[in-house]
Amino acid sequence: MTTEITSARPAAGPRKGSRRRPPASSATKVGRPGFAWALPAAVFFALFAIVPLIMVAVLSFMSWDGISSPEFVGTDNWSRLMDDPVMLKSIWLTLLLTVLGVVIQTPLSIVLGVWAAGHQRNRAVLSVIYFIPLLLSATAVSVLWRALLDPNFGIPADAPWLFGDGNLFGEQATAIGVLAFVSTWQFTPFHTLIYQGAARAVPQVLYQAAEIDGAGRYRQFFHITLPQLRNSMITSMILMIVGGLTTFETVLILTQGGPGTDTTISAYYMYDKAFKGFDFGAGSAIALALVVAATIISLVVVRVSGYDKMRSTMEGVS
Amino acid sequence: MRRRPHYLAGAGSLFWLFLVGLPLYVMLAATLRTRQDYADNGPVSIPDSFTLDNYTAAFDSGFGQYFFNTLVVTACVIGIVLLLVPPLAYAIVRSRGRTTSAIFRLFLLGLAIPAQAVIVPMFYLISEAGLYDNLLGVILPTAAFCLPMSALILSGAMRDISTELYEAMAMDGATPRRMFFQLVLPLSRGGLSTIVVFSALQAWNGFLFPLVLTQSDSTKVVTLGLYNFQTAHGIDIPGLLGAVVLSMVPILLVYLFARRALVQGLMGVGGK
Amino acid sequence: MITRARLPRLVACGATLALALSLSACGDGNGGASSDDGKIHVLVYGDASNKVEERIVETFNKTSDVKAVLDTIPGADYQQKLQTIISTPQAPDVFFNWGGGSIKPFVKADLLMPLDDFIKKNPELENKFLPSVFNSAVVDGKPYGIPMRGTQPVLLFHNKKVLDEAGVTPPKSWDELLDAVGKLKDKGVTPIALGGGDVWPTQMWFQYLFDRVAGPDLFKQAVGGDKSAWESPDSKKALNMIRELVDAGAFGKNYDSVKYTNGGSVALVASGKAGFELMGSWYYSQQLTDHAEFAEKDLGYTAFPTVEGGKGDPANVAGNTNNYYSVMKKTKHPEAVAEFLKLMYSDEFVKAQLDIGNLPTTTNTDDFIDSSGTPEYSRFQYDLVADAPSFQLSWDQAYPQKASSNMHKAVQQFFNGQLDTDGFIQAMQALPTE
Repeated sequence: MTTEITSARPAAGPRKGSRRRPPASSATKVGRPGFAWALPAAVFFALFAIVPLIMVAVLSFMSWDGISSPEFVGTDNWSRLMDDPVMLKSIWLTLLLTVLGVVIQTPLSIVLGVWAAGHQRNRAVLSVIYFIPLLLSATAVSVLWRALLDPNFGIPADAPWLFGDGNLFGEQATAIGVLAFVSTWQFTPFHTLIYQGAARAVPQVLYQAAEIDGAGRYRQFFHITLPQLRNSMITSMILMIVGGLTTFETVLILTQGGPGTDTTISAYYMYDKAFKGFDFGAGSAIALALVVAATIISLVVVRVSGYDKMRSTMEGVS
Repeated sequence: MRRRPHYLAGAGSLFWLFLVGLPLYVMLAATLRTRQDYADNGPVSIPDSFTLDNYTAAFDSGFGQYFFNTLVVTACVIGIVLLLVPPLAYAIVRSRGRTTSAIFRLFLLGLAIPAQAVIVPMFYLISEAGLYDNLLGVILPTAAFCLPMSALILSGAMRDISTELYEAMAMDGATPRRMFFQLVLPLSRGGLSTIVVFSALQAWNGFLFPLVLTQSDSTKVVTLGLYNFQTAHGIDIPGLLGAVVLSMVPILLVYLFARRALVQGLMGVGGK
Repeated sequence: MITRARLPRLVACGATLALALSLSACGDGNGGASSDDGKIHVLVYGDASNKVEERIVETFNKTSDVKAVLDTIPGADYQQKLQTIISTPQAPDVFFNWGGGSIKPFVKADLLMPLDDFIKKNPELENKFLPSVFNSAVVDGKPYGIPMRGTQPVLLFHNKKVLDEAGVTPPKSWDELLDAVGKLKDKGVTPIALGGGDVWPTQMWFQYLFDRVAGPDLFKQAVGGDKSAWESPDSKKALNMIRELVDAGAFGKNYDSVKYTNGGSVALVASGKAGFELMGSWYYSQQLTDHAEFAEKDLGYTAFPTVEGGKGDPANVAGNTNNYYSVMKKTKHPEAVAEFLKLMYSDEFVKAQLDIGNLPTTTNTDDFIDSSGTPEYSRFQYDLVADAPSFQLSWDQAYPQKASSNMHKAVQQFFNGQLDTDGFIQAMQALPTE
């Protein structure tokens, strides 16, 4: 990053014709936008996301119930959380649900995405239908499934061989299963779309070459399609992980963290502490911990995927 | 077409169709039957009554106003995103300054900030600015939280513009501004429509900001209207689902028309 | 390099400024600098009852120089929202609440105006209401709320047909209830429908049994801060009775997956798959809307059964005692507010409430009950409440709002066996009482 001279700016009036300049200097130095182009968005974002985040950080060292004035209490909130068994449990539950999400949704959406990438007419029609759950808000999806899974009048009542007495929300294992299933139902279409797009972008030449070599359908899938989808997998996984860490409305409406605290994931625990228990200090501490966790994870994945390097390689080329 | 049909994939896709279709059927069926029919026979049954009352009831309970509010919020959010993100993405892709690089990282990290983490201070910022219970107070934070993803999508799309084109324009002595308007914007139309769809979805389905930052009927958006259908003392699932279906229609239309752009934009997200 | 250093500083400055602004906003809490547009802002829970409140505001504005404005917060998050705005300039002058613990933190924070001055000037503000109801909004010996809307006692509803078929009569005592549970179970129906997924319906069993077994004083002690009350023999006895009922299979096995709020438990009773349901008085109109035929023919209701040897008066009731209007200390128009509150016992208001199915607890309600939509049902409730020596406010409303989430967890975990008696007692002792 040396001198950035924008000397190429024309003095006055538009230039016509193709007056040639020395190619070496113009290619790299001329006509690049300054950071001022990025500034309005950056300031706007800082004001509404970064500033509140800093305030959350400050609040996590305060005791505040929303009524009286906040007081500084040092690391009190943090040490209370360290000793809180529900907090520890909520971290495990968050990780479990996130991992479940990635493990279930990734293969499913890859298969569906690759399938939908085919140009057959029925696939095109079906994939339009598949997308619909994404158009529903989390509120609607949760209300819908809660009604469908009613033990006496919903699906479980019609299929006792599968659901037993239908007490899906009364036991930890099944309640977690329901949460994992509902987010799969809601978010798989989105990831399917990512893979569909990526699968269509795989050069047909590769398949033609493989067919000449006599590779079957499954070998083509594992040796050509999957490797070509690597970048999309990374993107989709970042989104799944961040989404999993911050799942909230689904839990709020489907289980309210219950039975007991058996599905109280961290994001819900934060809400429970802050807006139900009016312990905004502790709630802020959980919120901050969540942001830090999500940041670290996405930083790692960004590093691995090379999002930030992409720029420099481009620059190198130009 | 040049291949034999894939039976396994076919069976799998039909199973998935069942999983996706059943709830959608239940929803549609519930909205077209009387409340009593639904309550008596349960969600998974064939309706034995037909009525449009659930839809008219949804409108009577103020959904017209909520739709209008949601429309205003969505339009304004799209406007802000379209105003701020293209220059930002342009700078990310083309600028070489360290400041821009830092700004880009800021937005990458921004992807990891969940809205509920900042909701408490957000209330005070908005209320101090005198925007509590005002649609503008919902629009601003919603737009802000659309920025990181939109920046990522659009800069992905802009990277596809080949450097030769920039060079050619540079040789003509084009300023960054002229390149932006004459080269970058026209060539990233796909990415632009993707961020429009993305922010429209965010604004249309937004829940937490309206929940905390508004209170009266005149500023209520559709998602909150849905939520308020569920009060403890009056349960009306068919009415609720009728409102859900209504809330889906406009965005379904947008999706049907902008689907190609969306798929292409998501390829941009995928980093290609 | 210069720009690189400048930008973070700019952000930092902005952040500090915003932070300072907002913290000062939290700080000057009850300053109430703004929002004085010369009007009284009346904040209520937004639902179907609002049309009556709008009428009252209209009536008031006809004669008053200071005008009133009705603001609503609809939906289940009223209490949360109220607590968020109450110390900001957005706070109203007069607001709807449930009395008891729902206003106690505000009293402690010195945000509310004690109403004894109003009452001294106009004693009708107190003596026009049933005493058991009025007392639920008394905090630390001072009145802070004037009853509005209506009372909502919890009743034991049943399906007459199901009970007949099992040879069961509506139980008057606990033993009869246990007996009925056994008979209904033998018939293959769930004896008692319970929306355990919502948890607050589960809690209704606790508040009635504790009142029947120990009388109202045990809970009064506990919520007053004497946590040893939870360890008393009476408390353990009540818990054992609940345990016995659950273990007898009274609620079936999947009650935690059933919800009242999506119509699940309501349909169980209406369809004859369950015999009883313990629920607030609003249950009647819910059944009327959802299952009209059943509600008119087969829906029965009784008071909660008595418990033999219990210390509580069998005539005691529990539930949502009433809703109240409380007044913010910062209001600039106390005289106008006092005038507004007088309308709560006016004939016009009482009639309008009865017309939409609410049951006001004023002394003149009696005169209008027979002209209400469901006279028999209204009469039953009114007599029950009027004759009750004590009205136990729902536990989650009697405790400060911040305790309700942990209380619900304890209630649910005791029911499903995750907590034993000692575990439940410890969980209740850990709840904040102020």
